[in-house]
Amino acid sequence: MAELRGSHGDQPNHILTRWFGTPDLHKLEVYSSKAGGYTALRKALVDMAPADITNEVKTSGLRGRGGAGFATGVKWGFINRDAPGPKYVVINADESEPGTSKDRYILENSPHLLVEGILIAAYAVGANQAWVYIRGEYDEPYRMLHEAIEEARAKGYVGPKPLGKDYPLDIRLYRGHGAYICGEETALLESLEGKRAQPRSRPPFPAVKGAWGRPTLLNNVETLCTVPWIVNNGGAAYAKLGTEKSPGTRLMSVSGNVRNPGVYEVELGQTFRHVIMELAGGPPEGRRVKVFWPGGSSAPVLPESMLDTHTDMEALAAARSMGGSGGVIVMDDSHCVVRAAHRLLKFYAHESCGKCTPCRIGQDWAVRTYERILAGEGSQVELDILQRVSDGLQNGRCLCGLGDSGGWVIDSTLRHFREEYEDHALRHECNVGKVMASA
Amino acid sequence: MPDVNLTIDGHKIAVPAGTLVVEAAKTIGIEIPVFCYHHKLDPVGACRLCLVEMTPGPPRPQTACTTPVAEGMVVKTQTAMAVQARADILEFELANHPLDCPVCDKGGECPLQDFTFRHGYPTSRIDGPRLHFKKPIPLSDKIALDRERCVLCYRCTRYYDEIAWEQELTTDERGVQSFITSQFEQPLKSIFSGNIIDLCPVGALTSRVWRFESRPWDMTHTASVCSKCAVGCSVTLWQRRGQLVRVTSHENDDIDEGWICDRGRFDYTDVNDPSRLRTPTIKGARATWADAINALAAGIKGKGAKLGVSLPHDITNEEAFLFRKLLDGPLKGAKVKMHGRTAIPGPANGSRAQGALPESLMRIREIDDARVIVVVASDLEHDVPIIDLRVKKAISKRGAKLIVVYPDSVDLDRHPGTVHIRNAPGSAAAEVRKLASHELLRDPGGPVAILFGDGYGGEDIDDLASACGDLARKVGGKEMALYRATNERGALAAGVAGWDKLDGVEALFSWGPPPTAGIPKSVKFSASWDHLPRAGHEAAVVLPATTFAERQGSYTNLEGTVQFLRPPIPVPAPLKEGWEVLCELAAALGLHLDYAGVAPIQREMALQTPDPEPAPPPVLVGPAHP
Repeated sequence: MAELRGSHGDQPNHILTRWFGTPDLHKLEVYSSKAGGYTALRKALVDMAPADITNEVKTSGLRGRGGAGFATGVKWGFINRDAPGPKYVVINADESEPGTSKDRYILENSPHLLVEGILIAAYAVGANQAWVYIRGEYDEPYRMLHEAIEEARAKGYVGPKPLGKDYPLDIRLYRGHGAYICGEETALLESLEGKRAQPRSRPPFPAVKGAWGRPTLLNNVETLCTVPWIVNNGGAAYAKLGTEKSPGTRLMSVSGNVRNPGVYEVELGQTFRHVIMELAGGPPEGRRVKVFWPGGSSAPVLPESMLDTHTDMEALAAARSMGGSGGVIVMDDSHCVVRAAHRLLKFYAHESCGKCTPCRIGQDWAVRTYERILAGEGSQVELDILQRVSDGLQNGRCLCGLGDSGGWVIDSTLRHFREEYEDHALRHECNVGKVMASA
Repeated sequence: MPDVNLTIDGHKIAVPAGTLVVEAAKTIGIEIPVFCYHHKLDPVGACRLCLVEMTPGPPRPQTACTTPVAEGMVVKTQTAMAVQARADILEFELANHPLDCPVCDKGGECPLQDFTFRHGYPTSRIDGPRLHFKKPIPLSDKIALDRERCVLCYRCTRYYDEIAWEQELTTDERGVQSFITSQFEQPLKSIFSGNIIDLCPVGALTSRVWRFESRPWDMTHTASVCSKCAVGCSVTLWQRRGQLVRVTSHENDDIDEGWICDRGRFDYTDVNDPSRLRTPTIKGARATWADAINALAAGIKGKGAKLGVSLPHDITNEEAFLFRKLLDGPLKGAKVKMHGRTAIPGPANGSRAQGALPESLMRIREIDDARVIVVVASDLEHDVPIIDLRVKKAISKRGAKLIVVYPDSVDLDRHPGTVHIRNAPGSAAAEVRKLASHELLRDPGGPVAILFGDGYGGEDIDDLASACGDLARKVGGKEMALYRATNERGALAAGVAGWDKLDGVEALFSWGPPPTAGIPKSVKFSASWDHLPRAGHEAAVVLPATTFAERQGSYTNLEGTVQFLRPPIPVPAPLKEGWEVLCELAAALGLHLDYAGVAPIQREMALQTPDPEPAPPPVLVGPAHP
């Protein structure tokens, strides 16, 4: 039984985590009898036409929880259900974004929720085969999901005739090999096909040409786990939650300098102050929040003064950041932003696949520039280089979003903490340096 | 295909649907720089150098190399955003580049240099330490790899994957540490490996045969034709100070599509051999041309069937024409053997030999449109390498199906869809007759290409040719005869592609090197026109010969296209052109042949052998890999 660090139990805003905490929820028997599991699957297969399911999801306004926030129902609609030949559903469970553990929280608490979501989605888009690409380091989630699929198979939910319906459904698991880039959808497909995990140029999008060149629906774990609730309660009910353009709830993994790190289900439109200060308990005694990443390490940072930013995607876009993967990383005033940015750039440089030029060279160049600044060898030249490298990484310059992420780290920290950068680069001092040791 | 209207930098143009923006810009002379994009490879969008602004589209620069044109599209290559985006990419490419242009073979013809001048920042902001790799790495005995110069455009690995179907080249590591490497660090073995040198947009892949030999601006070059096999690929021959220093491809979409094999690319050093023969010799002693030709004439005159004439695989049409005159005149009755040829007869038209093949054989280009390709009794990779690449393209890029009838494994087996019928040697004709009812040929859905060789003499060629002809008629296909010798088809047309055994002859005249099987024991008088010293020369009359880099003349390739050698090196005195030697020999034998040059011979040939189906003039597109 997984540790319950985060939302669970009956709360008005708990859609995904309503039954978390129920003993043995990961077992099909408990999931069915206590949590009303697989009723949505029955409803979808028996009572609904595939197009109705897609329409329900469209009505709900659900947006992808993987990072890009694309409208899920619209994405489902891109798959031509009547095209001849196989179609696939691929689930992105390669949760590698720093500061993000929401998918793991789901898989370790209620793996059947995902199984049910997958089966409904596959039926809706006309696929018979689904692949779960699960992060290689996720041993326990892998084991639990594997057992859940086998239970569902034994029960007949996964198999040639689920619930008596003549519509074969199969789910297979594929374990990743430990590269951050595998979470990028087209690199994930390449990896799934057994190739070097490098992104593909788009278009064509996976909905047209995905796994093995076939139409493929790619969704995040959390996205599909929301689908059973929508099928049971209707898209309109879901759309009533959250904001108009970002309806519903989402899981936010709060980590860093907070008293109660964990995964919290938050109705979109709440403020980050609510998430960080109330749900996660705020920073340790005597500390202030200095900066936070609102959507995983890839989302541009926001300073303490923007704690009242709302969690919906439009509000975050207005604040020049993004909802991303929902991973909220909080850093208090004992930490140096330049060092943090350097550490993150090292991560992005290390994880760059090397396929496109700006990301391959730019991230590494940024790391080396940070190293000079932190070694006390910086000057205005280094600051200019950082800004130019950051520009060179963003806005479509790179093949996929990994390059942009590195650029955003530089850009947003420079924008909000220019003074701290200048301390390092021009005056060769770190004003939070002394505190560093005790943090 | 219908045309699509778009605007590029204010110019309104119409191009066929499906054209990529980068190609559309080319048609009006607007350069969008590229590294990873190559017009013969699938677009990949990796180097990001071709960023331009497009509407409709997001307000970001987009890659011109992956975006097809759309009706009403407006492309702007010179906005501040696009110009800066490209300059940034070039700056990134140079961040770790060693800048060793002064000692780099690519210097002077390097897109990285050129693009940096035209699209890059005028000054450098890079002053940090650069990344280092061990270098140069020998990828094979012909190719060296410099990983520091590499910009990771993946043209080489994609070429290996898409075009050559080889699995010898790959990328290792990731991020800034990524590098190109041969699989398991084994030497490249593919016969198609050299094309990656032409493809490389920087000095990362260089020819070890040419390495440090000369600068591009120190050489002159001619667009010529390869003399190694019957495909007749277009090549560029590069000379410096009378030496042939480099052979590169020269794109001709009708024949080679810009690829050449390693034989054509690297097999040229004999041209510059210091031991090249320069003067005639009689029994090892230097002689004048007149004495040598008189001695030769005296040795072969009036021998009838006791004279053997050995002809090389790359005899020119003009030489073959003059030999025909000699064989009809003073050398009447001589036995003739052409080396390296197949047993395949010539086509019915324009041939003095008994034609057994239909008049209209297939053209190489037509392979592209075939829906099913049948390859019989030939290992394309070794017999006609560039046809092999054309077949691979038809399969992997255009979805053709392939049937191979051959006893051994071939490289085309790498495609999972290949149907390989392993026949017992000699039974190819019987297998071909069974093919008419094969499931792939029952409803081929388009043209069928039937390519057949002679199984190196292992097949009854008349039987096989008629079986292929029957199959072609039944399934609506066209045939292509896979001749091997460079000018086999020209020699067949001239009637000198002899197939005689030379055993028992008393005199032997070898045009080219002596027979590979050795000079028959019965030979009392031997003469050869040869360019290198060889065993047996000390007892013979030897005339120094020109090579393909000096010789004028033409070859007829296996599809019937006549192509002209354009030698980059003038015939160095005292060497003479082959046709000149043959005219002097004819005079010494009492036959008056008087030509003022090679062109009058060609005019006379054209009058004597009208071609009922004239080949279109070859279209030379230009250097394949700018």
